Amino acid sequence: MIELILAVVAIVLSLLLAGISYIAYRKSHLRPALYLLIAFLLFAFKKTIDALSLGRWIDRDVGLITASLEVVVLLLLLVSFWKR
Amino acid sequence: MLMERRDEILGTIQHEPGITFRGLARRLGLGIGDLQYHLRKLERDGEVFSRRVGRRRYLFPKGLEDEAQRLLIAISTDTRRRILLRLIEGPADQKTLSEYLGVSQPTVSYHMGELVKLGIIEAERRGKSVVYRLSYDPGLVVRMIRDYRPGLLERLADGLIDLLAGVGGGDD
Repeated sequence: MIELILAVVAIVLSLLLAGISYIAYRKSHLRPALYLLIAFLLFAFKKTIDALSLGRWIDRDVGLITASLEVVVLLLLLVSFWKR
Repeated sequence: MLMERRDEILGTIQHEPGITFRGLARRLGLGIGDLQYHLRKLERDGEVFSRRVGRRRYLFPKGLEDEAQRLLIAISTDTRRRILLRLIEGPADQKTLSEYLGVSQPTVSYHMGELVKLGIIEAERRGKSVVYRLSYDPGLVVRMIRDYRPGLLERLADGLIDLLAGVGGGDD
């Protein structure tokens, strides 16, 4: 149960960070802000899958999907902070 | 009586472009509903237009559409507002601004580039350094900055912009 609550908190926080990145992108048109927006949205998606799997709403193994999403999120974070 | 009131509203907006809805109501001692009624008429007649930023509604006379847009972009982040307020006091180079604001030089450089592109400030090369000066009506800039009230998310986004501009040099 606590794991599920933590997953929901993580989803809310990542959506909040996605919102902040969106405002930053709209104001500045800095491409890294767009990468961050996508990264936080993907992270929220990953946590949603995790939470659904935890609550047994998804029966199949989601390990490969969530692991792939983690890699994409980390790559996007890396690209965001890349010195151009 | 109604036309006199409307002329008074129009005159104030023409004299003080960028005044906020609430500022105008306070200045003329008008009720919100009353002012809304007159502004609707003036906007429909194309005499004035408004731009909403956050919780503030800025009012401009016709013909200033392009300027209003540029000014609202120029004051949209906290660092830019502080840069503009500093430049009202006098010209400054990037190093001075960086020290004054307590932000990195790449961050200042990014914002200066944006403000120059918008035509709000001018850059002038003096020896090895570039000196920036405000090329806009200081009264209008101060009025718009004074009434700007960013929300919490907007303030956090401003911090993110500074961070990203500082890391990446703001090439985008």
